[in-house]
Amino acid sequence: MTSGKVLIIGGGPAGLEAARSAAELGGEVILIEKRERLGGTPDRESYAKLTHHWRDASEAMADMAAFVTSNKNVEVKYSAEVKSISGEAGSFTVEIEAGGAAESINAGAVIIATGFQHFDPGRATQYYNYYSFPDVITLTDLEKMLKEHNVVRPSNGETPKKIAFIQCVGSRDRQIGNEYCSKVCCGIASKQAIELREQIPDSKVMIFYIDMRMYGYWENEIYWPAQEKYKVNYVKGLVSEVLKKGDKLLIRGEDTTMSRPMEVTMDMVVLSVGMEPSAGTRAVAQLMGIQQNKYGFIEAGGAGGLDPVATSREGIFVAGAASGPSDLDDSIAQAGLAAARAVASIRKVMA
Amino acid sequence: MAGPIKAKFVEKEHAVVDGVDISGHWNRMFEQRVITEYTPELIEKIADLPNAESFANCYQCAKCVSVCPVDIVGNYGPRKLYRYAQTGMDLTEAPELWLCTTCKNCLRVCPKEVDMIKIMPAAREEAILQGKFVPAELQQAFENTAKSGNPLGQPQRKRDAWIKDAGVEIPIIKDLARPVDVLWYVGSYPSYHPRGIDAASAAARIFSALGIDFAILGKEEKDDADSQRLAGEKGLFEMMAESNIATFNNYEWKEMVVTGPHELNAFKNVYPKYGFDRPVIHYTTFLARHLDQLKELLKHEVNVKVTYHDPCYLGRHNGEYEAPRKLLEAIPGVELVEMQRNRENGYCCGGGGGGMWMDSFTAKHTTMRLSEKRAMEAASTGADVLAVACPFEVSRFADAVKSTGNEHVDVLDILELLDKSMRGE
Repeated sequence: MTSGKVLIIGGGPAGLEAARSAAELGGEVILIEKRERLGGTPDRESYAKLTHHWRDASEAMADMAAFVTSNKNVEVKYSAEVKSISGEAGSFTVEIEAGGAAESINAGAVIIATGFQHFDPGRATQYYNYYSFPDVITLTDLEKMLKEHNVVRPSNGETPKKIAFIQCVGSRDRQIGNEYCSKVCCGIASKQAIELREQIPDSKVMIFYIDMRMYGYWENEIYWPAQEKYKVNYVKGLVSEVLKKGDKLLIRGEDTTMSRPMEVTMDMVVLSVGMEPSAGTRAVAQLMGIQQNKYGFIEAGGAGGLDPVATSREGIFVAGAASGPSDLDDSIAQAGLAAARAVASIRKVMA
Repeated sequence: MAGPIKAKFVEKEHAVVDGVDISGHWNRMFEQRVITEYTPELIEKIADLPNAESFANCYQCAKCVSVCPVDIVGNYGPRKLYRYAQTGMDLTEAPELWLCTTCKNCLRVCPKEVDMIKIMPAAREEAILQGKFVPAELQQAFENTAKSGNPLGQPQRKRDAWIKDAGVEIPIIKDLARPVDVLWYVGSYPSYHPRGIDAASAAARIFSALGIDFAILGKEEKDDADSQRLAGEKGLFEMMAESNIATFNNYEWKEMVVTGPHELNAFKNVYPKYGFDRPVIHYTTFLARHLDQLKELLKHEVNVKVTYHDPCYLGRHNGEYEAPRKLLEAIPGVELVEMQRNRENGYCCGGGGGGMWMDSFTAKHTTMRLSEKRAMEAASTGADVLAVACPFEVSRFADAVKSTGNEHVDVLDILELLDKSMRGE
């Protein structure tokens, strides 16, 4: 049975923008979200400030959610998950479970916006001793502390004065299986470094990196001010290991531009963890039978490679970090395109 | 003295590697010194000085290093200074502080506009104020300037002694007691240094032949002190500037012509901050303006292959690349050839930023003098003459061609070449 409805899976930034755009284009939208609330990872992981315009993340996500929940063309189903899908473009039948009850939805097009998860630095090994040393934390852990304006060393509750970020944790690593760049960690680490210097003015903040990948506005809005105004120190060369030295952490690595070994004590070490496909992204891709790349992200690009929201199955589109590491701006831009493509594909079938 | 490079070596009396006996004094095993602390405060110590803010902005792209004339003969470069500071070097106490010639080639290529032309004088001033190490020869030049009005330490009353042998009348503005078109600021080296006097005398003859209404300050002329400022002696510079501006303003003249690019920089770019704002040009620009008339005077062929060295303070600092070349090309018989590094990328002679007075100090920290590197580059073009347009350069390069075995290359100021063609000598 042909349907004019657009089914959107995931209520994070990409899903919310897809719902808004599809509804504004005149589409009828059903948005299903696994959690009991909208806002996705920025909400779940208590993001503090967003890189662009330094907006409060909760506020920005609440704005996006409010537009969707107040739109009569969008129906939101919470605590909902996809169970199966059948049919084809224009007439999909999607079995879902929402709030514990089974339900069947007819949809003409589907947009997957199931996002990513942060790399777990303890995954394969005790990587950088994340699970052994309380003062080794991740970007996500620090983000929560920054949001509460309460940055302390988990080991003793004291304010850290020397903080090191280690870039590319879980990214660009063949052994770990993630050969890709997670795109956002350079910007987020630098953003957090600025916030640290604001919240703890007498702190020393260092960022150890392979190369700073500050594309677009991150270069001039984040990286340059971090160095020039906030005196964050960047050192080229990754830290190889984090050891314990008294109640401090000893980081060891090579300072590559000096060609010298480096062993410096820190109060706190922040691992700049990258992105991996979320469990939801992997599950949805499998049950919908759409192609994933070798890292588990949904393969996008279409036959010609220039269709960033197309999946391998006609009528099913993807937006945001479900198809690979992506920042908020890019996720939202992709979501708008996915909405347009979904609405257009339905109109083609209905005509 | 604190330096950035320290390495422990282990010398073994007997060592065999892969069956090969490598015993001997050259069998040195260098152990890297571990960085045990980063010191962002030593970056901020410099960046907190007025005008030195951009020191903190380096993002280590390293474009500056390969164009730094000091790195080419040693181990230096603005990028490295940032990293040395980050890893524990206090620039105000390090020999590196005194190696920069303020040639501006780093700033030319720097995407972050890290400005060593402002950073170095500020850091040097701080070192001087804090009583840190200052190279003795530089200290001597400061003292000479303060006492005698010139860095050579020559008596003020002999400043115009050279004019009697120039072969033409050189009016002193005070004696002339009337307004002139051109006030010619001769400069310290052209007034006292034998090779400088050669150029000054040539200039006098050219001006005279052109019928220029000019005069000099004579015994009232004092050093511009711009290089002393760049070497960190801002107080001395301000004292000299104040005195010079008063002298300049005592007389009526339309335009000032200077022999030296450092003086051009001083009077055109720095003195305006102290209230002096009148037209000043370098002699090459001035003579290029009179080119048609000058060509008629250049009657004799000077059959030589000439290569021209762009002075940093005429070229990069003040944008004049063409006038000197036009003058050389106007000389009949001259074939002008370019060195690999020329115009915007011209290689520094080592004399700027106080380098003129730190020759022995700099030599200790480099593999060869910058002037020697440049003299070799000039010789490699096959030129008979290395032409210059800065009074610092004649003596520097004259020594350098000798020490590098290139005595066959004559070092001549453009003024001297013009004068030769004019007089046929």
